[in-house]
Amino acid sequence: MDALIVSNILLWGLLIALAFAVMGLVRQIGVLHGRLAPAGALMVDKGVAVNEPAPQVTAADRSGRPVNFGYAGEKAQLLFFLSPTCPICKSLLPAIKSIAKEQAHRLDVIYVSDGDMDAQKALITEHKLDDATYVVGPEVGMTYQIGKLPYAALIDNAGVLRAKGLVNSREHLDSLFETEHLGSATLQQYLHNSQHAHGAHNH
Amino acid sequence: MQPDPIFVIAAALAVAVILASAATHKLRAPARFANQLEAYQLLPQALVSPIARLLPLLEAGLAFALLVPAARHFAALGAAALLASYALAIGINLWRGRRDIDCGCAGPQQEQPIRPLLLARNTVLVSLALVASLAPLSRNLGLFDAFVVIAASAVALLIYAAADGLMANSPRLLKLIGR
Repeated sequence: MDALIVSNILLWGLLIALAFAVMGLVRQIGVLHGRLAPAGALMVDKGVAVNEPAPQVTAADRSGRPVNFGYAGEKAQLLFFLSPTCPICKSLLPAIKSIAKEQAHRLDVIYVSDGDMDAQKALITEHKLDDATYVVGPEVGMTYQIGKLPYAALIDNAGVLRAKGLVNSREHLDSLFETEHLGSATLQQYLHNSQHAHGAHNH
Repeated sequence: MQPDPIFVIAAALAVAVILASAATHKLRAPARFANQLEAYQLLPQALVSPIARLLPLLEAGLAFALLVPAARHFAALGAAALLASYALAIGINLWRGRRDIDCGCAGPQQEQPIRPLLLARNTVLVSLALVASLAPLSRNLGLFDAFVVIAASAVALLIYAAADGLMANSPRLLKLIGR
């Protein structure tokens, strides 16, 4: 009798654990659906060309320290252009923060924003960006001709703009690093070039 | 034949928690619930706002009464009637062909269009409430019975939450694979 009760309690415990696991899986699927939102439309590109030296500009971050953009340095720079009024920017912040943490040894992540200082402070507190380099002001966005948000630009340690684009998802962000690695301005251009090379080989 | 009290009490506990969570969602965002109620287009405009305020209180009251043994029978019948009327509201709108309105079935970020599947969900909830309304066999309940009641209703609630999540995900999945 005792053995039956023990086995019964054990089974209930395991069943509850299993139900938790199932619910967790369903929640994760829900999060994945949220992240798989439709990609942003392609836009007419303007501003600085990729694989050219990035324009050099210096701006003060929110505590007044000067930050150099586009100069050669020890680390590459990832500029993330955001605004407190842009919900997609906020949904990307966890991804940006994880990239900053993973690649801290070779990459400086700089948040560039513009607009109302109180809203910036609220965003910084909400997303725990107190230690991050956070620039508020129009200079950088105007130099790099940012028209749409959220936008990201990747500058390597020699001061060359390696990749840039409108980023609406973690995949878009990762594609910036992929294009940097492949040495092409965009993934489309890389595919195009490799097809050409392939065609030439056949002839 | 009278059912064992474990079935009745566990069903009552599960329905009570489901109603209580529904009531808190509605009380937290009253404006959203009023909009959802209005979208169903079943009530005259003047009644929408008082009923939107009354329904969460009714749900919370039923949830509380389900936990009191003396009131359990009537509270369970009331909960069954309430859940059946929700199903009726969904059924009428499906019959009208309005499949694009938000169900308002679960909390925030769980928006889903109304579908016949939701009628099945409410049928399950109504039958759970009806089980809770039955008069149980009278026997002495020990500590182990209490454990089984709590464990059974916890598993039922977790599986209910998982099923709810799956139902909220399925329209998004269909959208993703392009149907």
